[in-house]
Amino acid sequence: MSEANTRLLVVDDEPIVGKRLKQVFDKIGFEVETYTDSASALSAIKNRPFDIVVTDLKMEGIDGIEVLKRVRSTNPGTRVIIITGYASADTAELAEKHGVFAFLAKPFRLDELKQVIYRAVETDRAKK
Amino acid sequence: MALFSKKAAAATDCFFQLFSEAQDRKGEPDLPCADSFLGLQRMVLRDFLKEFFITRWFTPKACRPLSLVFSQFREVLKANNQALEIIADMGEKLSGEYLFDLRYVESTVEEMIVAMRRAIAAINTLTQDQCTALNEVFIPMEARVRAILNKRDDREGPPLIWLGEVETRHWPLVGGKAAHLSELLHNPKVRVPEGFVITTRLFHDLLDVNGLRPEFDRFEHLLSDHHPDEEAVENLRRLLQEKVLRAEPPSNLLESLADFLQRLASVSGPNFFLAVRSSAQEEDMDFSFAGQFHSVLQVPPQAEAVYRAYLEVAASLFGSKAIRYRRQVFPEGGTMSIAACCQRMISARASGIIYSVDPMEPGSQSMVVVGALGQGQAVVEGQVPTDFFKIAKGEPPRIVERMIAAKHESLVPMGGADGGLAMQAVSIDQAEAPCLDDRTLLDLASQAAHLETFFKRPQDIEWTMDPLETLYILQSRPLLITESAKGKPRLSEKLEGYELIASDAGRVAQQGIGAGPVYWVENLADLKDFPEGAVLISHRDSSQFVQVMHRAAAIVTEVGTPASHMATLCRELRVPCLVGVPEIMARVTPGEEITVDAEDRRIYRGRVVELLTYQASTSMDLHMAPEFRMLRRILRDVSRLNLVDPLMQEFKPEGCKTFHDVLRFIHETAVLELVELGRDDRCLPGGMARRLDLPIQAGILAIDIGGGIAPDAPRDLIPFTAIRSIPFRAILQGMLFPGAWHQETMPVSFRDMMHSMMTTPQDTLSGQYTGHNIAIISETYVNLCFRFGYHFNIIDAFCHDVERDNHIYFRFLGGATDIAKRSRRATLIATILEAFDFSVKTRGDLVIARTGNLIQSEMERTLDILGRLIGFTRQLDVQMTDDQAVARYAEAFLMGDYGVVADKR
Repeated sequence: MSEANTRLLVVDDEPIVGKRLKQVFDKIGFEVETYTDSASALSAIKNRPFDIVVTDLKMEGIDGIEVLKRVRSTNPGTRVIIITGYASADTAELAEKHGVFAFLAKPFRLDELKQVIYRAVETDRAKK
Repeated sequence: MALFSKKAAAATDCFFQLFSEAQDRKGEPDLPCADSFLGLQRMVLRDFLKEFFITRWFTPKACRPLSLVFSQFREVLKANNQALEIIADMGEKLSGEYLFDLRYVESTVEEMIVAMRRAIAAINTLTQDQCTALNEVFIPMEARVRAILNKRDDREGPPLIWLGEVETRHWPLVGGKAAHLSELLHNPKVRVPEGFVITTRLFHDLLDVNGLRPEFDRFEHLLSDHHPDEEAVENLRRLLQEKVLRAEPPSNLLESLADFLQRLASVSGPNFFLAVRSSAQEEDMDFSFAGQFHSVLQVPPQAEAVYRAYLEVAASLFGSKAIRYRRQVFPEGGTMSIAACCQRMISARASGIIYSVDPMEPGSQSMVVVGALGQGQAVVEGQVPTDFFKIAKGEPPRIVERMIAAKHESLVPMGGADGGLAMQAVSIDQAEAPCLDDRTLLDLASQAAHLETFFKRPQDIEWTMDPLETLYILQSRPLLITESAKGKPRLSEKLEGYELIASDAGRVAQQGIGAGPVYWVENLADLKDFPEGAVLISHRDSSQFVQVMHRAAAIVTEVGTPASHMATLCRELRVPCLVGVPEIMARVTPGEEITVDAEDRRIYRGRVVELLTYQASTSMDLHMAPEFRMLRRILRDVSRLNLVDPLMQEFKPEGCKTFHDVLRFIHETAVLELVELGRDDRCLPGGMARRLDLPIQAGILAIDIGGGIAPDAPRDLIPFTAIRSIPFRAILQGMLFPGAWHQETMPVSFRDMMHSMMTTPQDTLSGQYTGHNIAIISETYVNLCFRFGYHFNIIDAFCHDVERDNHIYFRFLGGATDIAKRSRRATLIATILEAFDFSVKTRGDLVIARTGNLIQSEMERTLDILGRLIGFTRQLDVQMTDDQAVARYAEAFLMGDYGVVADKR
């Protein structure tokens, strides 16, 4: 899992999310970058693409759906996962429409997110 | 009326007998809901009298159909479980495995309060309103939890509190440092100076009385803003700092301070001074805030002086470096208030710091000590040269390095009544001698090792030593260890070098990483010798493990779930814990070192230094989010279990300190209510009892309240094969075990016979089932009352697939012989039950035992043993001629040698 040095980006306005996910995925061997505002996250993506992007839905300025759209158009190879405390059938459908890889409602077990991300890495590798 | 007088005569005899025996039983341990043993006696007496001195044809008030009582019991279990599941759910979120937000906390707390009210209503239905006291107990608990949600928990409570009287619910009021110190005060291994705390409540009163509330609120608001107006922040900061420094005391404060100082004087002796140190809300919990707030030392013991010192401490909350630090660690804000810990100052011959892990070489398994002569302030402020020692951890610890400095100066009291400290010159020989001798140094090291295990992470400890060479701990907080990022090989690669004992192991009850020597716990008695820093390995989980959790590095069990009582306790005390790891006991050897990674669910052989270092450097960040801190504070009031053992004295509504206590209490009360089901004959439906047809003469009548007997069984003389009640069948199996039940009667000596004639069995009621043994059964339940000969035995058990609901209650009383022999039999029974993990209480010839929270197969196994025990001890009191007999027979039983009774060895 770690030899390809998977690049993971986390954007969520709650710093705890980025910190926690960085802890978990550092331990596994991913390259992790975290951001609390979507604008800086998007410019980081533009600089150097990521394999996986985990984003919150409700953020100031550019929200999660917008992040999803932009990433899918500029880096179609990147898998986007949305995490949110305000999950609803409508937003899930909308995210689906714009090509989200997975949609997780908070609170969720980190294990669940891990499994989803492993799946994302596998499908990514399969494509290559 | 002829009937009346004959029975009246018999009744009078019985009455006096019962009354005198009731007198003997005064001082019985209290059982819940005022159903003390004595209370039960009185109830029996009352009903007795009612029956014979009031006309017989009035039916007693409280008789309800059995099946109704049983279904009410099931309702209590259901309501209880709902509440417990919500609590366990919140606790699981804290374990670190989850990501959650504030909305989750708020909505879940509401759900939990509703569930609690439902559970309290259910138990009152079952007990016919005997538990209304629970409502009074619950109201303040609910208020406290709402206060936390509304972020007012630091405003409600006493303004001053004695350090030794601080309880968990006071922690928001006393701040982190004082909370830790109060925990340490009750720890026999370390010494902490006495004192009291000026709480955050007083701080808020101070703000209100001095009209500073609007500024304070505005300031807090600005701090939680992502991009505030920096000038406004600085102005408000300075304003608050100045105004607090000059604040007027709230009314009565000075008088109260004087009272507390008087109390402190009575334990400190004459001529003492105080240290007034900051204890901010989050200080020392996970963030050191080291040196950010002000402390004032050598304060004279006068109310006015202490108050002035307090103001300096309080104002330092708004100091520029404190605010800068705070904005760094809490970027999303979160209100903060400050308390002050006032303790007597120890006259210090030497002081310093000990780190329980060398921060420069975290993997080296060594501790670091720095020390100087005089007061520790000089050490922490870097004002004097210090001695340096390095100590290798182990049993015993070893001094491996020494660097003695020339300590020409020391910080000592100025000596006047006004207090204050000053630097003083030190003589040459003193300056060049080590500040601590080896013996004290090693003592300090073992105290530090203990504190590391106690708080579950490396500690940064301030110590001081008085002229009599007694060590005191002044502070103990988490040690910050930073990993240098450059050139560090990835953790995952380093881990490959270690042998994996288990991977994908079980389920996480509490995240974390712990390492230490394996210690098997096979029954509760093993807990007594639990070594410091060991890893507890056991087959089943038990809430009794709480006794050693402070000393345990980690816990691993073969069965159990993250929702059990023990798991809740592990989360409360943050003990890394994995449950449901099959066969772990066989895979490890007692004494060998193992490392438990209760995050990734792996267990390694040996001590994985890299994992431990990783944990030390990363475990802090998680707790930063306001949601996490809030949930933790809520769970402190909700899930910490104080009422662990239902046979204890404090098991009353007033003894409930948390929601969890209330739920435990409710469960126990419900069980006891059921236990009494079979006692009162007049409430048992006539004609419903059916005889059992067993190979042994047990004389048991069964009353089926649902699914206990096969529908196609004969009306009377029911064979063993037709019994569908799971717990009852298990007991019968035990009773029927070859050799367990002895058919022939024991030869009784003349003396014994005389005794038996003069003793009327305790619970004899004249009724339709006199002389019979009654089993009230359902598919999942049994209430078995044995009344043979001169003794009385109840076994009440509930057994289904939700392990938390399962219980066994055992009560045994009486015998045909003198009290000495009967007591010995009681001791024999108690010894055997303890070996099977029961919690047991004896008094003379009475034995009460309790176990629960077992999976179905364990329940059946235990009930089988009880069945064998009934047969084994039935007539054994006759044999209990001396105390050695107890040990002999206990051993025989535990070895399965049931024939020993017949042998009359």
